[in-house]
Parts: sequence; structure tokens; C-alpha cells
Amino acid sequence: MKYLPLIWTGVMRKPMRTILTLLSVTVAFTLFGLMIGLNATFDLVAERARADRIFTGPRFGGLAGNGMPIAIARQIAAMPGVKVVTAVNFVPGYVQDPKNPVFLVMLDDNAEKVVHDWPIAPEVWAAIRKDRTGIVMSKMQAARWNKKVGDSFTMISQAVKRADGKNSWTFKLVAIGDDIAEQTNGYVFGNYDYIDKAKPLADQGRVNEIDLLANDPATATELAQRIDRTFANSATPLRTITDKMARSGKDFEGLNIKAITHGIALAGMFMVLFLTGNGIAESVRERFAEFATLKTIGFSDRAVTALVVLEAALPCVLGAALGVVIAALLARQLPGLMPPGFGLPFPTISPVVMLWAAVCALVVAAISAALPILRLNRMDIASALSGRA
Amino acid sequence: MLRQIWIVSVLNFKSLSSRFWQSMVIVVGLAATVGVMLSMLSVSAGMRQAYLNAGDPNRAIVVSKGIEQEGQSAITRAMAPMIASAPGIAKDKDGKPLADRNLNMGVPVLRKDGSKGFTTMRGLADKGQGVRPELKIVQGRMFQSGKREMIVGVGAQMMFQHMEIGEKVILPDGEWPIVGVFATGDLLEGQLVGDTETLITSLHKTNYNTVLVRLASPDSLDTFKKALTTNPTLSVDVIRHSDWYARIASQSTFALALLGYTVGTVMAIGALFGCLNTMYSAVSTRGREIATLRALGYGAFPVAVSVILEAVLLSMAGALIGAGIAWSLYDGKQDLFGNSVFHLSVSPAQIQLGVIWAIAVALLGGLFPSIRAARRPVVEALRAT
Repeated sequence: MKYLPLIWTGVMRKPMRTILTLLSVTVAFTLFGLMIGLNATFDLVAERARADRIFTGPRFGGLAGNGMPIAIARQIAAMPGVKVVTAVNFVPGYVQDPKNPVFLVMLDDNAEKVVHDWPIAPEVWAAIRKDRTGIVMSKMQAARWNKKVGDSFTMISQAVKRADGKNSWTFKLVAIGDDIAEQTNGYVFGNYDYIDKAKPLADQGRVNEIDLLANDPATATELAQRIDRTFANSATPLRTITDKMARSGKDFEGLNIKAITHGIALAGMFMVLFLTGNGIAESVRERFAEFATLKTIGFSDRAVTALVVLEAALPCVLGAALGVVIAALLARQLPGLMPPGFGLPFPTISPVVMLWAAVCALVVAAISAALPILRLNRMDIASALSGRA
Repeated sequence: MLRQIWIVSVLNFKSLSSRFWQSMVIVVGLAATVGVMLSMLSVSAGMRQAYLNAGDPNRAIVVSKGIEQEGQSAITRAMAPMIASAPGIAKDKDGKPLADRNLNMGVPVLRKDGSKGFTTMRGLADKGQGVRPELKIVQGRMFQSGKREMIVGVGAQMMFQHMEIGEKVILPDGEWPIVGVFATGDLLEGQLVGDTETLITSLHKTNYNTVLVRLASPDSLDTFKKALTTNPTLSVDVIRHSDWYARIASQSTFALALLGYTVGTVMAIGALFGCLNTMYSAVSTRGREIATLRALGYGAFPVAVSVILEAVLLSMAGALIGAGIAWSLYDGKQDLFGNSVFHLSVSPAQIQLGVIWAIAVALLGGLFPSIRAARRPVVEALRAT
């Protein structure tokens, strides 16, 4: 502790250099925090994904197809090993202009049971159940459409028409819920029953996705395969996947998210390493005689080493801390800045992210200090004092 | 003046070797910034190019009115011959119009990395190759119309499992064997292609998605468009194929590009502080040298310019190194995003962009140190140790 003023004078010898280094380190760690935080979110979602939850949908045609008959949901519910089944309908469309896409997910009463572990408040579920034309939005979506509870929400859907042939739909916002990591674009939930009855008769009774819980997580994969086999030769072949398989946490639309985020974080660290390494080397070079003096008055090699390491570590650790804090503040804002529908989740600044930031800061500091320390330990005190070294 | 700038700058660069590691801070900073940015942009740029290549200004696409995606469009069997008989369409050697009925469908695939994805199965009808002459069979043979068989793109073969000739792809009415591999040099290479009529039967569909026509000449779009849009029995949009894909290219790559530029900007800010640091430190170590020059009669302006010039050249060196790394790692590599398969691209235009970013950072990072260098009183600087 008593050496603190000594380190401080060392650090503040050239305040401009220290401040610029600190700023650069802060920026690098902001990026680091966002990148490793993004990984943390993928890991979190993968971890929270349940082995016993199963999603199924039409095997062919994707979202452009016209779904599958609701009867499939009843058939699946009757299969052994199935606990609870929910039918899901999508209403893709836009608000005013195709440039403002919105995606409504219409759920029945069982949805709450199938995704019971998602952090969605019970009041939110209760609110849509009470009002047939009601919808709930996550905070992100509510902010995007600038809606508050009680407002009406009008959208156009080319894909889903009303019974009178029109394609404009009006809903009432009945609750706003917290955003969850599983729904990266936020969410807009409504009533399946309402949308189904409001469609033309020919379009009724069709669903886009069926979600279910298995009785036993251990046999869920087998159940998923059994569902696919059962419907393989039907008019609507299915593609069934467990939540766990769907969210392995490895990739985002086929991009290797781990490799990309690690690469970016590493490039930032490399950039900073050169800066801090150069800064500390310069600082030690300028004060070579001073260090010689310290050694002369009895400072051991170890004490001098500690001084240099601490001096190098100060901007690194402080910058890392600041950077992670800024990353945490930015993390929640980022999804709002990305174009809607992109689906990249917001980074989570978890304790693991902070730990990694601290480790990297110390590694950068250690490497930066290594060469100057080597020089100091080998210094010839006499020549250094006379300024010949 | 120019002579002075030249002399001072040459002097600067001669003393660079003594400030090697200091200068490396700028080089490495910009190499990292530009390297990361171009690596990220290689995805959006490659994808964009694949989309743009798919659109030919000599083609027009006919879709249902007001739709944005081929999959949402529906052209009935009755509409197709009416579209094909419209004026403005190129004719093949038998005098038949080059108009092709197309169908699209999402097909689940297993990517090479084991993850599950989708690709597009595309139906081409009898005039398919006439409308799309760029489609070349590189292995095996073309599919036969009326048969349940398909050809796969070279990109699809590279990115997805089970795409060899002889293997089978599961479609709604059973397994379709792969009989050939094709190349187009565009987005189609990541897709599967079969016969429209066979596919429509297997999907139990009643409509085609689109009709793609080869125009008699690029100027005949208006004739063709007018004939279709004034026909009250058709409710369609006619769009030049290149415009159609230009819109989709922008829409589908915007977010990725934005992400690349955002990360690039953040890294550039980090590099800027590093650059400022290095240049301040450079003008301070060269304080006496600069003061001597000033005492000899060199102006403040040439000194300032030489400092900025040094920053710019170091930054450009860094940018070129970073661009070189990104280029050697990613340019031309086959990759995918969502269900688009394409070649990553680090093009000369992007490298130029990287260099421009580096120059911008250097100008900002060199400006304040150069002002300090030019303003410092000569006497004070000469006395400083």
C-alpha cells in the first residue's frame, strides 16, 4: 500500500499518455464485453433450452407454406409420452409499410404450460386470456411501435386474411412484458382462437407450429423421431426438433458465432497489447535512472517487478472495468439499433464475462510488463545511474 | 512550401526506425481494425454479390401484385400462357417465347457443420435453360422433365451433407435422386433444382410462384410490362430481374453490413486513441529536431503536415496489412448465412474502403499532435531535454 504514491507518480508522469491508453483499453474492452457477452447469451439460451420441449412444423415450404391442419395437434396429444400440446399460429405482416415488418405469434391456453419456464409474468398470460382481440408485447416491441397498454395496434398481413377478405387486422395492447433471451426480436403474442375464427372458413383450423412437452426428457428425442415417422407419409410431413437441438448455441443462421466473437475480441486485445506494451516500455526507458536509484536504496528485483507490473496493470484493469460497464449499458440498447427482425440476441454481461475481461486485462498487463522487467532485472545499476545504459 | 513539406517528411521517415515499436502501435491498431471490419463485411459483401449476380437486366420476373418474396407469389396455370404470349419476350430458335414457370419451396438440409438449416428447391420448366443460359451442368446430367429427380448447385454440394450424385433428397412425395451438379456463379448455386411440373404435383399445389422471361432486348421491358399490367385478367407486377435482386440484396444484407460497420467503428475509435498517443509521443521525442528545423526557417505548416503525413502512411500500411489478412483468410471462401449460400468477398472496393477508414483515423489522430508540434515555441523546445 505504501508504494501506491510511487505507482501513481509513475502512471501520471505523462497524463496524456495514460489517459489515451486508458481510453483505448476501455474501447477495446467495451467490444470485448459485447462480444463475449453475446456468447454468454447463446450459452444461456442453450443451457435454458429444455430437453423435454419439442417443436414441430411442416417439413416443406417453411413460413411461406399454409401450415398444417390442427387435427395433427390432437393426434400428437394422443401419442404416448406426450404431456401437453399447444398449437401456434403466425401472423406475419407489416405496419403501414412493408418496410416495418411485424410478426405476431398467436397462442392457445396451453402455451403457458409448454413454455412455463420462460420468464414471462403470469399477469401477461392472464391479460391475453381475458381479451380475445388482445395482444401482449415485450418492452422492445412496445418501444418500437410506440404503444402503451390500452392502445390499439393495426397491421396488414398479406398472408393471413380476415373472413371479409380484407387483410388489415386491429388488436388491442393489453399488457407489456419483459424481454426474454429466447425471443431475440422481442415478442408480440395474441390469441390463436380469435385469429382462427376471424379467418375465412377455408383457412380455419390450420396452424404453423405445434409445441409440446414430453413426459420424460430422456425419451424426448425418440418421441420427436416418432412424430416425424408417424406423419412421414401423410399430406403434411413434419419436421420435429427438441428445444435442446434447436438451440445448440453454436451458430447464428449458420455463422459460427463463437469463432467470430472470439476473433473480434482477440483482435481488440492484440491492438491494446501493442499500445500498453509500448507505453510501459517507454515509461520504463524514460525512468531507467529512477529505477536504478530505487534499486540502489534497497528495492529488491521483486519489488521493482511488482511496481512495473502494477503500473502496467492499472490502465488495463481500470480500462477493462470501464469497458465492461459501458458494454453492460450498451447491451440493452443494441437490439433497438439493429434492423428489426435480424434476431441477433442482446449480449449478457454475466459474471463469467467479467471474469474473462479481468483475466485478459491481467494477461495483457503481464505481457506488456515482461520485456521492461527483463531489462530492469538485468540492468547494470552503475551505468544506469550515470545515464549510460 | 511543398519542398519544405517533402524535406521534413523525409526526415521523419528516416527517423522512423528509432521509433519502430511506437509506430507499430498505429500499424497494428489499424491492421486489427481494418482486418476485423473487412472480415465481417466479407459476409455481407459476398452475399450481396451472389444476389446481384442472380439478377439479369435481360430478364423480367412476373409476380403477384404487391408481394415481396417469390414464395408468397402465386401465378395460376391459366395465367402462365397469357404471360408467355405477351410481346417483348425473346424467342428461342423454334420461335417459342423464352418464358419459364418457376416454383420455390423450402427444403430442410443438414449443414456440413452438423447444424440444421433450409435451402430452396427451385422448379424450372421447359424453358429454364433458355431463360437462364448461365446454368451449366458441371457433373452428371440435367434432370429430365416429368421425372422425380434433381440437380444440385456446386455451393449446396459444398455446404450441405448428402448432396453427391446418386444420393437422395426427401421431398413431400418421397425421395428424389440427385443426377447432376450445376454452376451459375450466383445465389442459385446454393439451391436444388428440379422440374416445375413434377414438383407442383408432388407439393399438391395448384399455382406456380413466378414466371421468369428473357426479354427480347433490355429496352423491351416497358412493352412487356404494359401488356401485362393493362390486362384486367392478370393482377401482377413485372420487375426487371436485376432490380428485383438488387432490392432483396439490400434488404437481406443490410443488418450484417451494419454490424460490420459498427464493430469497425468501435475498433477505429480504439485505434484512434492509440494513434493520438503515438503521434503525441512522436512529436515530443522529436521536439528538438522539429525546433531545429523551425530555427532554420522551416514553417510551422510543413512541420504540421509532415506529422499528419506520417500518421497517414503508417495507418495505410496497417490497413493494407489488415486487408491482406482478411483477403487471404476469407476472399472466395464458400460460406452461408441463413439459406443463402455464397462466396465470401474481400474486393478491391472494400480494401479501398478500409484504407479510407485508416486515413480518416490518421487525420483525426495526427491533427492535434501536429498542431502541438507546430505551435511549440522554438526556444522552449530547443532547451528541453
